[in-house]
Amino acid sequence: MQCQQVRDHFADYVIDSLQEPLRLQVTQHLNVCESCRTEAEELKSLWTNLGSVPSAQPGPEARARFDVMLEAYKHGLNNAPSRSWWHRLNQWIAVWWPRQPALQFGAALAFLLLGVLAGHRFQSGPPSVQQPSNEINELRGELAQMRQMVTLSLMQQQSASERLKGVSWSYQMQKPDREVLTALLDTLTHDPNVNVRLATVDALRQFGDQPVVRRGVVEAMTRQDSPMVQIALIDLAVDLHQKESLGTLRQLSQDQNVNETVRERAQKGISELE
Amino acid sequence: MTDTDEILMIAVRGGDVAKLGVLFDRYHRALFDFFVRMTNSRAAADDLVQDVFFRMLKYRQTFRDDSRFKAWMFHIARNARADYYKTHQPETSFPEEAAGNIQSRSPFPGHELEQKQQVMLLQCAMFRLPEEKREVLVLSRYQEMKYDQIAELLGCEVGAVKVRVHRALKELREIFVKLSSERLPCNVNKSETTLRIM
Repeated sequence: MQCQQVRDHFADYVIDSLQEPLRLQVTQHLNVCESCRTEAEELKSLWTNLGSVPSAQPGPEARARFDVMLEAYKHGLNNAPSRSWWHRLNQWIAVWWPRQPALQFGAALAFLLLGVLAGHRFQSGPPSVQQPSNEINELRGELAQMRQMVTLSLMQQQSASERLKGVSWSYQMQKPDREVLTALLDTLTHDPNVNVRLATVDALRQFGDQPVVRRGVVEAMTRQDSPMVQIALIDLAVDLHQKESLGTLRQLSQDQNVNETVRERAQKGISELE
Repeated sequence: MTDTDEILMIAVRGGDVAKLGVLFDRYHRALFDFFVRMTNSRAAADDLVQDVFFRMLKYRQTFRDDSRFKAWMFHIARNARADYYKTHQPETSFPEEAAGNIQSRSPFPGHELEQKQQVMLLQCAMFRLPEEKREVLVLSRYQEMKYDQIAELLGCEVGAVKVRVHRALKELREIFVKLSSERLPCNVNKSETTLRIM
C-alpha cells in the first residue's frame, strides 16, 4: 500500500475499526514506513487523550425546566380551540402529500396539460350545426335583392358591355325570382346584340329546371334571326332533354328559310332527343 | 422490558407526550455535553437542550416509523444550534485562564498538574478548531456515533466523514503542539465547563 492509501484509513485506525485484511495491510505498512507510523501513533494518542477531556454535566434544574415546559405544552394542547374542519382537511391531505415542491409542480403541470387535452378533445368533435340567426337571414335576403336589382338595372343599359355584365350578375343568384328570369328571356329574344343573347343562353342553362325558362327557350328558337343563337338554343334544349322542343326543332329542320347549319343542327337534336 | 427510544417516540407522536420525559432522562446529558463542546457556554447549552425537546414535541409528527431516534434528535439539535446563532453571537471571548494556573490538591502535585495542563490545552485546542471539524470529532469521540451515522446526519458520504476526521485530528494536533510550546493562555472558561476527569 502507498502512504496516501494508508493515511486514508487513519480515521478508522484511531478508533480500531479496521477490518481484516485491511488492518494487516495497514499494520505492515506502518512497520516499514516511519513517517506514517509516527503520524498514526500521534493521532491515536491524541484520540485517546481526547477521552480525558471532561464531559459537561447539566445542572439539577434541567429536569425541572423540562417538566414545566412539558406541562405548559400539555396545558396548551388541552385548551387549544378545536381546529376547523378546513384545517383538519388540510392536515389530512398533508399526511398523504408531504411537501415536495418539485413533485407538486410536476403534478400541477400534468393536470394542466390533461385539462388542455380534454378541452381540445371536446372542442374538436363534429362541429355543431348552428342555425343562422334571423339577422343573418335578413342580411342574406337583402343581398340577394340587391343583386337582382343590379342585374335588372344592368340589363336595361344602352351599352352592350353593361348588359353583358348584367347577364353575368345573374350567375351569382341561386334562386332568381320570376322578374329576373323574365328579364333574361326578354333579353334573349329582343336584345339587338348577338353576344349579349349568346351570353344569356349560357346564363339560362343554370335555371333549366324552371318551367318558364324551358318554355322561353323553345319559343326563342323561332324568333331568333341569328343562326349562332339558334344553334346555341338547340344545344341547350338537347342538353336539358327538352322533348317539348321536338315540334319546334322539326319546324326548323324543315323550314328552307332557316340557315342550313341550323337545320342540320335541329335535325341532329331531334335524333338525340328521340 | 425497557422500551426502545423509537417505541417511546412513536408513543409521543401518538399523543402520549409524557413519554418524552423518559427520553429526556436518557439523552439530556449527552445533548448538554454536545452543546457545551460546540458553544463553550453552559447557559446556551441549557437553553438549547430545552429547545430541542420542545421541538421534538412540536415536530413529533415528522418522526417516521423507520426513523432512528438518536439521528433524528441530533438533526433537530443541529438546526436548533444554527437558529440560536442567528440571534446570538458565537462565544469567542472567554474569561482567560492560563493552563498553568490550575492548582493541584494531589499528594503528587507535579504529575497531576501536568495531566490537568494537558487536558486543558487539549480543550483549548478543540475550541480553536473550525466548527465543522470540531463537530465530527465531538460526534464521533464523545457521542460515540459511527461514521456512517455521522454521514447520514451531515448528509454526506462516509468517506467524506473519514477525511474530515483525519484532517480534524491533524489540525487539532498542530494547534495542541503550538499551544504547548508557546504556553498560550487558555480561553476555556473553567467556570462555564464542569470538569470531570473521565
